[in-house]
Amino acid sequence: MEFGWSEAEQAHRERVRGVLARELPADWETIAVHGPGSDAQTEYSRHFCKVLADEGLLIPHWPADHGGEDLDVWRQFILGEEVWAAGEPRGPQYMNVNWVGPVLMRYGTQGQLERHLPPIRAGDAIWCQGFSEPSAGSDLAALRTSAVPADGGYRVTGAKIWTSYAGQADTCFLLARIPPRDGGSEGKAGIVILLTDMTSPGIQVKRIPALIGEGDIHEVFFDDVFVPDTDRLGAEGQAWEIINFALQNERVGIPRYEFSRRTLDRAVASLKTSGRWRDPVVRDRAARALMECEAARMLVYKVIDGKAQNRPPDAFGAVARGAVVRADNSVNNFMTEFLPEGLLGADPLQQAHHQRAIAAGIASGAAEIQLNIAAQRWLQLPRELRR
Amino acid sequence: MNFELTEDQRAILGGLDQLIASFGIEAPKEPCVAAFSTELDTVLASDGFLGIAQEDGFGPLEAAMMVERLARLPVSVEAGASMLVGPALGLDPAARPIALVAGDGTAPARFLPMARLLLVDRGDHVLAVTVDPEQVEPVETLFAYPYGRLRSLDGLETRRIDDIATLRRRWRVAIAAEAAGCMQGALDLVVDHVTTRQAFGRPLGSFQALQHRLVVASESTESTKYLALRAAWSDSEMDAAIAAAFAQDRIPQLTYDFHQFSGAMGLTLEFPLHLWTYRLRALLGELGGSGDQARAAAEAAWPCVA
Repeated sequence: MEFGWSEAEQAHRERVRGVLARELPADWETIAVHGPGSDAQTEYSRHFCKVLADEGLLIPHWPADHGGEDLDVWRQFILGEEVWAAGEPRGPQYMNVNWVGPVLMRYGTQGQLERHLPPIRAGDAIWCQGFSEPSAGSDLAALRTSAVPADGGYRVTGAKIWTSYAGQADTCFLLARIPPRDGGSEGKAGIVILLTDMTSPGIQVKRIPALIGEGDIHEVFFDDVFVPDTDRLGAEGQAWEIINFALQNERVGIPRYEFSRRTLDRAVASLKTSGRWRDPVVRDRAARALMECEAARMLVYKVIDGKAQNRPPDAFGAVARGAVVRADNSVNNFMTEFLPEGLLGADPLQQAHHQRAIAAGIASGAAEIQLNIAAQRWLQLPRELRR
Repeated sequence: MNFELTEDQRAILGGLDQLIASFGIEAPKEPCVAAFSTELDTVLASDGFLGIAQEDGFGPLEAAMMVERLARLPVSVEAGASMLVGPALGLDPAARPIALVAGDGTAPARFLPMARLLLVDRGDHVLAVTVDPEQVEPVETLFAYPYGRLRSLDGLETRRIDDIATLRRRWRVAIAAEAAGCMQGALDLVVDHVTTRQAFGRPLGSFQALQHRLVVASESTESTKYLALRAAWSDSEMDAAIAAAFAQDRIPQLTYDFHQFSGAMGLTLEFPLHLWTYRLRALLGELGGSGDQARAAAEAAWPCVA
């Protein structure tokens, strides 16, 4: 057991920092404030991800067979820490390299690989995740968007909600259900995954104005949209396995604590300048936010270490998620109390952090569901009786 | 970064587990407030376990691992100061058990009734006091450690040590490592209790209201453990202060929840929960409590330049 970084890992981090320092424009903070799904940041991601690709830093953790360098998961995470802490100039494309690509590699057909991987590798693909519905959020298995088998494919009808990046996406990783009356199974077994072309006739995207940033969440309506068989990922009945694989580490996949830690460092620098740092209460509260960040870091590192050691996934990620949410909110609350001016126009990055933090316990599934999972699968507590 | 134990670490912890198993340690049958195991404490020292951090290839990380592991037991032994503080100050390993206290040296201290050495945080230096048992009076307390206080330092052999920073840094690591072990011991007991105890026709642990808080307790326990181990590994002021501040910050909620979930049983001496929670509550106020550790963490993370 040891808690340091190897020389190669440190060099990797420095390299990423060098690219960020060189590439991010002077007005980056005013772009980043709008969030990864905003028009400005999405557009910028197309430039930045191409640069990362040219530098060999977009997908170094992918297998060499698919254009990567077989680097370990720590290198992927170091990259993630640096770019997320910088405000995520990869925009929505972080999702492609973290899990969309790897899921396709595992479950996709040759045709799907040939179609979807090259634009991801080039840093020029925007995906959205068509999971949540008006009556199926954390309870994903309750989704009702229908995929009725038709000649050569499926006809999709329904609505998705809270869909990040949908306004800019080329492709939707869409979950839909084959209705039982059309031969689908009940429950999770009836779900299919359709890699849906967002330019297909019958798709309508509506942006939802929100506190968490421009373009981050949408409603997506599917009105008898045809999706060919060739765009179904995996077999019918295999979707739940694929979703679990995809989400395995997504809930701690974003190194939120790193952005929180660096935002806290900035906040302290600001408080020192204004003289408020002399107040022992302020120092106490800052340290309590700091320790939440570091606790989250440790637990997330333990999850990443499990991947690095090829251990089968367990429910510890659900325990770590709680620490991550707490860290984000702890820093956010500290700054909102002691640096309210940051949310009154003085600090775009603080506002960006605020907008990420208030969604931390909701995005990628409610944190309370993770508590249920951890209770039953980590602590082995008896299941709650279902009526 | 690697969370896997090395073969050597696995071996020493395995050896420790075997030793513990050979004692057949379980919670005392007779109701008691505190359970100190003189036998285990003596054998840990005589078999070289407490000096393992001074062996080639080992250091404070392994010491913290062992302190954490020992604190999971329902009985206490003095390991934190002997394994983490004494060696860093270059003290004679035979001069133990070691008690730690802040102030003038006459405040109640854990392990003082059996200590040979008392280390006093005097603000700007450490005072090492050779303990004369005749000068120690026991202190009655609910805290599940043996406590005592010196009547006076008059006539006792004392030595000044200037390195107060090392005392505090390692003391903080010891607090965090010991707290992590106590949290785990208590969590295991409470999870077992709510899994078997039935209410309203179902196990207590099937109620979501308990489940979520127990997961938070587990998160606190795991975080405390890894922050403590990282602090031992880095031996940095910041990591040590963060680890101790975090541990002390989480103790009140965690101990409240554990007693709450144990109901009136948890208020009796028959049910051994207090053997862990009242060690945690003792650790809560040590070295100034979480506020002092938090301000130390702030100073280490964001030093004020004069």
